[in-house]
Amino acid sequence: METIFTDVLCIGAGLAGERVAIEAASAGFETICLSIVPPRRSHSSAAQGGMQAALGHSAMGEGDCPDVHFEDTVKGSDWGCDQEVARLFADRAPEAVREMAFWGLPWNRVVPGRSTYFKGGKQYEKVEATEKEGLITARDFGGTAKWRTCYTSDGTGHTLLYTMDNKVVELGVRVHDRVEAISLIHDGQTCSGAVARCLKTGKLRVYLAKATLIATGGYGRIYRETTNAVINDGGGAIIALDTEVVPLGNPEAIQFHPTGIVPTNILVTEGCRGDGGTLLDVNGQRFMHEYEPEKAELASRDVVSRWMTHHIRTGLGVKSPYGDHLWLDIRHLGEKHIKTKLREVEEICNNFLGIDPITQLIPVRPAQHYTMAGVRTNKDGAAYGLKGLFSAGEAACWDMHGLNRLGGNSLAETVVAGKIVGEKIVEFLKGYEVQYNTAIIRSGVIKQQERIERLVSGKNGNDNVYEIRSAMQDELMERVGIFRNGPDLQKAVENLQEIHERAKKVGLRSNGKGVNPELTLALKIQSMVRLALCTAYAALQRTESRGCHAREDFEARNDRDWWNRTLATWREGDDLPTLDYEPATQVVELPPGERGYGVCKIISCDGDVIGDGTS
Amino acid sequence: MAVDTTTYVPAPSRTSAYLDWLQMLTGAGLILFMWSHMILVASVIPTPRLMNAIAHFLEATYMAQVGGPIIACTFLLHFVLAARKVPFRVEQQSTIWKLSRQLRHTDTYLWLIQAVTAMVILIMGCIHMWTVLTDLPITAAKSAARIQGGFWLVFYLILLPMVELHVGIGFYRIAVKWGFARRKDRKSFKKLETYLTAIFVAIGLMALVRFLTLSV
Amino acid sequence: MGRRLKFNIFRYNPQDPDSVPHTDTFYLAETESMTLFIALTDIREEQDSSLQFDFCCRAGICGACAMMINGRPNLACKTLTKDLPDEITLMPLPIFKLIGDLSVDTGTWFREMNEKVESWVHTSKSFDPSADEERMDDAVAEEIYELERCIECGCCVAACGTANMRRDFVGAVAMNRIARFMLDPRDQRTEAEYFEIIGTDEGIFGCMGLLGCEDVCPKHLPLQDQLGILRRKMGWSAVKELFRFGK
Ligand SMILES: Cc1cc2nc3c(=O)[nH]c(=O)nc-3n(C[C@H](O)[C@H](O)[C@H](O)COP(=O)(O)OP(=O)(O)OC[C@H]3O[C@@H](n4cnc5c(N)ncnc54)[C@H](O)[C@@H]3O)c2cc1C
Ligand code: HEM
Ligand code: HEM
Ligand code: SF4
Ligand code: F3S
Ligand code: FES
Repeated sequence: METIFTDVLCIGAGLAGERVAIEAASAGFETICLSIVPPRRSHSSAAQGGMQAALGHSAMGEGDCPDVHFEDTVKGSDWGCDQEVARLFADRAPEAVREMAFWGLPWNRVVPGRSTYFKGGKQYEKVEATEKEGLITARDFGGTAKWRTCYTSDGTGHTLLYTMDNKVVELGVRVHDRVEAISLIHDGQTCSGAVARCLKTGKLRVYLAKATLIATGGYGRIYRETTNAVINDGGGAIIALDTEVVPLGNPEAIQFHPTGIVPTNILVTEGCRGDGGTLLDVNGQRFMHEYEPEKAELASRDVVSRWMTHHIRTGLGVKSPYGDHLWLDIRHLGEKHIKTKLREVEEICNNFLGIDPITQLIPVRPAQHYTMAGVRTNKDGAAYGLKGLFSAGEAACWDMHGLNRLGGNSLAETVVAGKIVGEKIVEFLKGYEVQYNTAIIRSGVIKQQERIERLVSGKNGNDNVYEIRSAMQDELMERVGIFRNGPDLQKAVENLQEIHERAKKVGLRSNGKGVNPELTLALKIQSMVRLALCTAYAALQRTESRGCHAREDFEARNDRDWWNRTLATWREGDDLPTLDYEPATQVVELPPGERGYGVCKIISCDGDVIGDGTS
Repeated sequence: MAVDTTTYVPAPSRTSAYLDWLQMLTGAGLILFMWSHMILVASVIPTPRLMNAIAHFLEATYMAQVGGPIIACTFLLHFVLAARKVPFRVEQQSTIWKLSRQLRHTDTYLWLIQAVTAMVILIMGCIHMWTVLTDLPITAAKSAARIQGGFWLVFYLILLPMVELHVGIGFYRIAVKWGFARRKDRKSFKKLETYLTAIFVAIGLMALVRFLTLSV
Repeated sequence: MGRRLKFNIFRYNPQDPDSVPHTDTFYLAETESMTLFIALTDIREEQDSSLQFDFCCRAGICGACAMMINGRPNLACKTLTKDLPDEITLMPLPIFKLIGDLSVDTGTWFREMNEKVESWVHTSKSFDPSADEERMDDAVAEEIYELERCIECGCCVAACGTANMRRDFVGAVAMNRIARFMLDPRDQRTEAEYFEIIGTDEGIFGCMGLLGCEDVCPKHLPLQDQLGILRRKMGWSAVKELFRFGK
């Protein structure tokens, strides 16, 4: 068995993983990153919009500061976040943006003078200050009081990731790409690395490390319709959950975005609606204004997603081989506007749908977008339950997003948390020595080898892994989606438990040799279903509506009973997760109140009912 | 350039750059030569006397005696330089042929044409130059006699299109490689290249016909 | 619509001693807006679960899915079957090491490329967290971004005759990267330093202007223009050197 020793093992080479690696390597610690794909293909590259940091250089961002950013973040989280972390984040975000600029990121800059912009389909004018010329500028994003989102055209995530990986190459940090971690090596107290499978040869390999980091991104692929990359299928969450001691924080917190295109669920930007695009049903009729007379299509992400789903359920969706959908109509915006302001949308429509949005309708429906859920860590990024295990980025529940994250805050999180957690790992490592227990390592490896053998030989059974994944994805989509209610969630939990049983009986149809893709999936299917169960079960228990978690049978946000965070662990042999709860935040800088948007009915900490539930 | 970079950069080898310059310059030189050469040969079309006059002028000024060998040397130098790029190894050859067939990509094909015509030109050009330069002076009558002999007619009928293709493509490629033709100009340059080749082949053929019908 | 598509797919699993390179044929009913991502996923899930290929973002932005589609390199995820004939032949990219079937190892190649061109800002300054960022003209930032849009898919390398014949040739992607840093005022490298990296037969002077790169780049990077500019710059740099030695 090939065994590799290192000080720091970063599982994941997206923005978060690489930022941590840079910090550790700069401090002189030997660092290795693992990634399923070459690092620059990590899904961070897909983010287009931008990264939030309160620089306040642009005219519309004047007066912005970390305090305002902090408030926006807490409100965005629907008071589900850890306020100490949100504060730490907001304070350090500007520095992170500047550091990326120093490393070569081509941020868009302030161009002084008059210019126009659109809001709600109307045109306005702004004037950028001359003395700010050439400083990093920002654009508007949902849920923020100021224009705060720093960007590089429509490729912010891409440039961030390329700049980050350039730094990684400069420092000589090794990235073992096409290596997938399949289990953590631990004794119930300390984590000492991971067993990984090489996706070039299919062979197992052992990585022993003093500090191990999970930075594997989101796991949207447990849902059928998601804007996430195909590799975002929960590898990091799985290896944490499999330890039986490391909890997932808020597994019910899953964000949906209203406009994924059908069939591939690629994201088309909110700008379409921002600039005046409308949503139509099977009869070519607008419907959002009937549900939301005031804001119509421009209500917040979760609200629009909810009504779209509702409308499809009433039978007014458009039938297609890929399921029902609705139309996004931007034809009336005109060719000129589409070709300049919505260029990327036009390209996506041309490339992936073969349609021309200037003359044709765009098929859309809400799609899973972001997992606020993740490996629960303290504010230093240290995972609960195991010493030497850390987590950062979308994979982690650090937790600055609570029950809903703001657009632009997750790219910022990867870089800021990456830096902070990196610093903490360096502190942790100073003077830290370990002894590796070979018995534990060997049994860890043998366990994985046996799993592979059983799958290949069909000893467990011969259930089809793709069918099981499909069943799980349908279940989540159908009953643990945008709207949730007790009976549906109950049903989902029962069905998922059944699927979980089937997942134990998977057998391969192919020979399993080499980098067999069927084996890759089969190795994690069972734990994927467990992730799904964590989400469904935690959603069932949380009898309130907060952020993205919308219970039809409990419409109010209930600060009296549910101002807390779910912690889910899985004990081997169980068929449900064990749920525990902790207060959402120890430090309260901003007491719970109204967000200022979305449904507004709150049961306060004292039990008073505020608002009437209409938006 | 105040900083002397040589103090810490161990003077990197610039050979590749110089060789590339030379390859381009010899190519461009040969293009110019071929165009002048065409004037000489095509001058027979209006009247053989014009051709004789030009040829006489070239010799009286020793341009033929000196220029001829210089051209021959340039020709060989260009060959040596360009040959660095030509795949002589079987494996490389099959790779590039396979790729071009797969890609169905015009510019890659054009390069193959350039490399193939180059080999033909190398052999036939040498024979031709040897023949003409060892049989000075040049006169329309001598040329006509050669061509009417039949062998040289066939010879030129092969060499002419080969040369013009190679020259035309070479012209286009210099423009592209050195950034004279930008992305937006590429289409028009390609058109220009096609026209140039066609026109020169046409003039060349006319000259051949004229030689053929010239009473010696 | 309603077509029955025939897929000829290259198959070889180097990890399986029993496997030999060959072509497998699959049939699939075409559906609306079908991309090769949908088609290949379907084939794997319904017909042959050992079929290897790479997709990641499936949105044309990560560069994972480049393959030879009817002879030309392109991103499979953004290729619609309706733009293809009834018979579709899929091969792995050449040049890169084969992992299995349609999957190749681009990661190693690109990491080496990035190391070779030293794809990072070289500066003697150090970062001051408390200071405002250095100013930069927005137009310059956009120019840099235009070249930074490369997704390292490898199409330009696969389509390059030179790269196919000479494995040490760095390819248009590396030249574009150098051009990106030459534009960047933050990078303090001198022309001589750039020359050392790229002014060779493995670099810009090895390029024969075949323009396969330009014609297949799925992101439409201005490769032809950048190669032209780079050759001129590097060419002049060498000439200047010649005259300096003369003095
Ligand atoms: C379409 C889209 C648009 C978005 N737009 C924005 C935006 O505009 N602004 C914003 O702030 N946020 C945006 N986001 C969210 C943001 O992009 C992500 O949250 C963030 O990039 C995640 O970064 P990460 O480093 O945590 O994970 P990733 O970048 O996903 O990296 C995960 C890494 O882990 C590796 N990995 C995974 N599993 C394993 C395993 N088992 N073993 C080894 N390695 C593994 C992967 O190979 C990869 O390298 C968007 C997200 C999507 C999907
Ligand atoms: C009258 C004779 C010739 C003329 C006018 C001529 C002209 C040219 C020109 C202008 C180019 C482009 C140069 C460049 O890309 O830098 C070129 C390229 C080339 N020539 Fe010639 N050439 C002649 C003879 C030959 C011969 C005899 C050979 C023999 C091998 C040859 C082989 C090549 C090759 C292989 C190239 C391509 C080089 C590359 O793409 O980098 N040429 N030629
Ligand atoms: C210094 C060298 C050269 C001299 C003096 C020269 C001279 C001539 C002359 C006198 C002719 C008329 C036909 C004849 O007499 O046979 C001719 C024709 C021709 N030459 Fe050359 N030549 C030279 C070099 C070349 C080279 C290098 C090439 C190309 C590789 C070339 C290609 C041709 C062709 C294709 C014809 C036929 C032209 C036509 O039909 O119009 N010549 N040359
Ligand atoms: S330059 Fe274009 S073709 Fe080449 S790797 Fe980059 S994106 Fe792909
Ligand atoms: S295809 Fe190759 S030869 Fe040059 S122009 Fe492009 S790199
Ligand atoms: S899968 Fe990312 S570009 Fe095709």
